[in-house]
Amino acid sequence: MGILRIGHVSLRVLDMKAALDHYINVIGMYKVMEAANGHVYLKCWDEWDKYSVILTEDKEAGMNHLAYKVEKDSDLDDLKKKIEAYGIAAKIMPEGTLPSTGRMLQFNLPSGHDLRLYAQKEYVGTEVGTTNPDPWPDNKHGAGVHWLDHALLMCELNPEKGINKVAENTKFCTEVLDFFLTEQIVVGPGGAIQAASWLARTTTPHDIAFVGGPRNGFHHMAFFLDSWSDILRAADIMGKHKTKIDVAPTRHGITRGETIYFFDPSGNRNETFAGLGFLAQRDRPVSTWTEDKLWTGVFYHLGEPVPSFTEVYT
Amino acid sequence: MFYDSRPKFQVSVNQTGEVYACAVGESLLAGMIRLGRRGIPVGCVNGGCGVCKVKVSAGRAEKLGPISRAHVTEDEENQGFALACRFGPASDLSLDVVGKIQKAFGIGLSK
Repeated sequence: MGILRIGHVSLRVLDMKAALDHYINVIGMYKVMEAANGHVYLKCWDEWDKYSVILTEDKEAGMNHLAYKVEKDSDLDDLKKKIEAYGIAAKIMPEGTLPSTGRMLQFNLPSGHDLRLYAQKEYVGTEVGTTNPDPWPDNKHGAGVHWLDHALLMCELNPEKGINKVAENTKFCTEVLDFFLTEQIVVGPGGAIQAASWLARTTTPHDIAFVGGPRNGFHHMAFFLDSWSDILRAADIMGKHKTKIDVAPTRHGITRGETIYFFDPSGNRNETFAGLGFLAQRDRPVSTWTEDKLWTGVFYHLGEPVPSFTEVYT
Repeated sequence: MFYDSRPKFQVSVNQTGEVYACAVGESLLAGMIRLGRRGIPVGCVNGGCGVCKVKVSAGRAEKLGPISRAHVTEDEENQGFALACRFGPASDLSLDVVGKIQKAFGIGLSK
């Protein structure tokens, strides 16, 4: 089966106290564990594995690593062989490298981003349990996000120097990790340059995405909400907490997601993403957005460039 | 413009000639945004992304919060470099904009 879904993001923050206030009281996560090294682990109410975000206090903002869960422990060995055969170094990190987590397969994407795969993480259950579960728990707070939904990585794209890490990552993720392409942006003469891509393993429009920019980095991680009214409520909470909103509630053309982009107190971008969008399937034809309409793809209502979206990231 | 009684210092952006009044305890970037002015690029406004990097060429600024060392090293900070979102005025001051918003999607790279 291979990769099931996104597992967690390990993120650098400049001020742990401010970060915890944001991820708990604005996003609505729960602190589940603090390691001896000061790293803090958090989860969302509708997640059943122990954590989905690791916060590490550092002198720089940005992402340490991104992890996906695979179905079987043997998938790690199978994927290690496939990754190495593709020409990328991969290593097994032993169980306990991260607390409550089994062994991890570590490698870098062609862009250089640190990716991890694991099969086991401690089961703790959702906040509503499995017996006659309520639709949401009484201790829901903040925006009350359901789960970590996806991540978007900025990848170096410099056609003049022949560098396109978006295309390299897309090829690697489809050929080796068995993601499938759902949507893409193409630019340049004849649309020859793949400038952004959205890929899925589940039935959501994307589990990972790559956008081309001047340098590699972390663009955002997104948390799932049910509906447009939940998006409005989330924006109210951000107003109440003076959260820096990057892009106020709107809809993406690409993925059809209902969205807010905002920054955590260290400048790492977050998204609340609502709606099914469409049913992602391997045999669904890929949607392509062209250079002249790409901003309609990114923000469907205004369809105008928002420079911060593509050029501000950690 | 609403009346704003807070004590302020004058901030001058050398490249654009823009001059605005920034309140004590308010960041250089927040003061600019509050007045609807332009000149310093606006990014995360939280010390992480680095697009609002400036160099104070005259006067003094005070630090209001942590900044990412990926964008301003300690040496640079001692030389007067700052992120406008995390520094406020400690006197009237002049600054040069250093941060730059770069093109993405591979478009306009040759410009």
